[in-house]
Amino acid sequence: MTASASMAAADNEPEFDNPDIVGAHARIAAGKALIWAASILFVAALLVQTLYAAGAIGFGFATWRPILYAYALWGIALGVGQVMARGEAGLRALFVLPAALFTLAVAIFPTLFGFYIASLDWNLAALGGPHFNDFDNFVQMFHDPYYWNALANMVFYVVMVLAEYAIAFGLALLLNAEIRARKFFRVAFLIPFMLSPVAVSWMIGKSLMEYRFGPLARLARDFGWQTPAFFAYPWTARFTIEALDAWMWIPFMVILLLAGLQAMSKEVIEAAKVDGASPWQAFWKVTFPLMLPVSITTLLIRIIFKLKLADIVITVTGGGPGGATDTVSSFIYRVYRDRSNVGYGTALAMFYLILIILFLMLLLRIAKRFTRNVV
Amino acid sequence: MKIETYEQIMRAQLSRRRLLQGAAMTGAAAALGTAGGLGGFASPAHAQASGLSDAEKALRKQILQIPGVGKGSPTDADYRKVGELCLAPTKAAIKEGEFKGVELTFMGLNNQNTHDFLFRGFLHSWEEYTGAKINWIDLAQADYNARLQQAISTGTIDWDMLEMGAPFEGDVCGRGLTSEMPDWVKKMIDTEDYVNYLKPPVGTWDGKLYRVSIDGDCHNFNYRTDYFSDKDLAKAWKDAGHKGEWGLPKTWQEVQEVTKFLKGKTIGGQPAWGYLDPPKPWGGFGFYFLASRTTAYAKYPGEAAWLFDPDTMKPRVNNPAFVRAIQDVVDALPYEPPNQINADPNETGFAEFLGGTGSMVVWWGDVGAAAKTSDTSVVGDVCGFSILPGSDDVYNSKTGKWEKPSSGPNYAPNLAYLGWGIYVMKKVDSDDKKHKAAWSAAAHLGGKDLALWTSAYPSGFQCYRNSQHDIDEWVEAGYDRGYITSYLDSQFNSYNHPNAAIEPRIPGIFQYYSLAEDELAKVFAGQEKPQEGADKIAAAWEKLTDQLGREQQIKFYKAALGK
Repeated sequence: MTASASMAAADNEPEFDNPDIVGAHARIAAGKALIWAASILFVAALLVQTLYAAGAIGFGFATWRPILYAYALWGIALGVGQVMARGEAGLRALFVLPAALFTLAVAIFPTLFGFYIASLDWNLAALGGPHFNDFDNFVQMFHDPYYWNALANMVFYVVMVLAEYAIAFGLALLLNAEIRARKFFRVAFLIPFMLSPVAVSWMIGKSLMEYRFGPLARLARDFGWQTPAFFAYPWTARFTIEALDAWMWIPFMVILLLAGLQAMSKEVIEAAKVDGASPWQAFWKVTFPLMLPVSITTLLIRIIFKLKLADIVITVTGGGPGGATDTVSSFIYRVYRDRSNVGYGTALAMFYLILIILFLMLLLRIAKRFTRNVV
Repeated sequence: MKIETYEQIMRAQLSRRRLLQGAAMTGAAAALGTAGGLGGFASPAHAQASGLSDAEKALRKQILQIPGVGKGSPTDADYRKVGELCLAPTKAAIKEGEFKGVELTFMGLNNQNTHDFLFRGFLHSWEEYTGAKINWIDLAQADYNARLQQAISTGTIDWDMLEMGAPFEGDVCGRGLTSEMPDWVKKMIDTEDYVNYLKPPVGTWDGKLYRVSIDGDCHNFNYRTDYFSDKDLAKAWKDAGHKGEWGLPKTWQEVQEVTKFLKGKTIGGQPAWGYLDPPKPWGGFGFYFLASRTTAYAKYPGEAAWLFDPDTMKPRVNNPAFVRAIQDVVDALPYEPPNQINADPNETGFAEFLGGTGSMVVWWGDVGAAAKTSDTSVVGDVCGFSILPGSDDVYNSKTGKWEKPSSGPNYAPNLAYLGWGIYVMKKVDSDDKKHKAAWSAAAHLGGKDLALWTSAYPSGFQCYRNSQHDIDEWVEAGYDRGYITSYLDSQFNSYNHPNAAIEPRIPGIFQYYSLAEDELAKVFAGQEKPQEGADKIAAAWEKLTDQLGREQQIKFYKAALGK
């Protein structure tokens, strides 16, 4: 019998005479006590260690690992205490509690900790160690031309997602049509997506496009471009990096769009044909609107990945020439790796995270308006 | 691996080669086969030159035959054999099994399968003899700085011995994290044999010695001999009305002139190119290449400082000398291969120059070491070496004026990076046995004879001892006399140059370099004027100095300059 059931059954009896009610009360009290005790233990351990790390007290743990153990213990006690104190409701809570605690530990806490790091003047080579510097890192960021240059480049890269989408849609339509070796092409199209970006950077960016002996450079010469230096001029470098990235990611978009096309009712297209719609009209008036929800999802996922573009840039151009291909991630990488500037690098990353969240929320809102009449 | 076992394997390999490759290879195999005995190789001339005993000479000759110049890359078996043959100093100082039960952790690099890979082999017999065990932390070069700085910053140093470049000494020795070298180690590794520039203050902080050198570094000038002896180019040079004879440029002014002249010319049917700049950032290391173009302008004879004012840490990177060097790069780039703006030092030295593109390049000794031994090099027979070019005038930062030395061009080789060394961490000082074991292992790796072998074979390490400049020794090992003389002279004449520019061993030095690289990339791409870019670099450096602690940086910089 659960605690609530036993309490209901004993409604007519005086509470102090009913052993079930007395037992339930005791269990509830024990559960609450367990939660309180574990919480106090965890908070006390955290407080002691924080004060010790700050140099305010002379005792504490050598590392932060015991705090992790205290957190795990607190989590277990919280689960057990919930069941004891809330009975069936507590049991239901157990379905969510581990996931919530895990999310707290690996997502929410690191994010908050990231904001704390972002508020520090922390250069690993500084003998003084980290120290709080208000919002200086963010002020510095607003005056950092490299960061804004990288953000401007990101606008270009994100806009180019539309071109990638158009190509991907065309390929998805092709693969959805009754063509020969359709299954082969579906697998073959995926190969670029399976390749490591670093491998693509070397194989294509630094080998096939190599100025002296690269086959693509030779081909370009055959077409009349006598100095096929793909990465020597800002716009050619930008477009070439974009082409490399697009080559890898278009297959991913194709797969999503193809899944959408295959899930779409064929009767609607046939009805449009019967009504005399041309292929273009059938696509533009029927297929494209029906595909909007899938398209929006595809574009959003692609944009999220695009905003993290770094590996190809770092490997092929290092952000050059003169920052023309730099991305926010490749710039942050330099700030961290080459300059050990942990506080400032984290500030850049956290601000970028906020920008991404705001941008995606805006996109979702716009997308909702577009798809309202479709879904 | 025991020497007898190794030789058995080698004999077996040679037998197969004899069967497969015929009589020509038999001669080489026979030569190698005779390398096992001691004492049979003494050359009177060599003995006279080096001042070594017959046994020492024989040992050095023996190890230089492992595996033999032109007989392919050395393997782990070779490393082990060389390590075992060079174990005599250890055996003289340490009893067998003396370090039984001691475990040491060594952090080093795994660049191009060298560094730690060699150390493992070299220390194999040391471990067997002493009873100690070494655990390894292998790092890629790109991860090295971050791993080192994070461990220091978070107090999680988990190694007892460290392979480290001198520029990091400010970060590590400056914080008192290293163990002072005992006197017995100084004698064992013969620190007096080091080339002058690697002697203190390099390796020292507050007068205490911490470093066992295993490498020497400087930028030298690599050039194509076929270009500068080409009759057609000589005629074209005359026809174009240039002053003087066609030949190897001696100054940066001449390098500029030759680079501009060569564009549009051909040699051997291929496009001819002059000097190759590496403008693409390279994790901070790219700044060394601008520095090498600058030292002749900025390093004033008699004054050690050239990058900062030592009393204030005010950067000199925006003074007229640096700006002139930056302008030189900007002026030269249009005359270099079209994709040069996207070439980093690695591509410039190895893909371009060793691949046959360009006639002049500055690099560490690796280019010369690889020119004749690398399969990808096509310039091994037409490669020459010298110290860095000079300048007709030099900037005096005290007077703020350019001066023309009466003695001729101002030369100032860039002693970039100062080479790798082995450091023992201070945390072993509390355990006498571990302390002795760690220093014994470090001394073994920094041994005089081992040094000869590492500079003769692919290892990532160059010469750093005077005893390595015995040309006869190299020629006997199989090197061409002209080639090796030119190469070694370019190295040693840089090391021992009275006006050499010394590396500033201050904490965070690669942060300074990395900041400069970003700004220089904009200048080279034409987005900023050289002076504007240089001023921005100086401003960024000032800010970084404040962040790292100006007073502390001044103290470290002066210590690095030996003040």
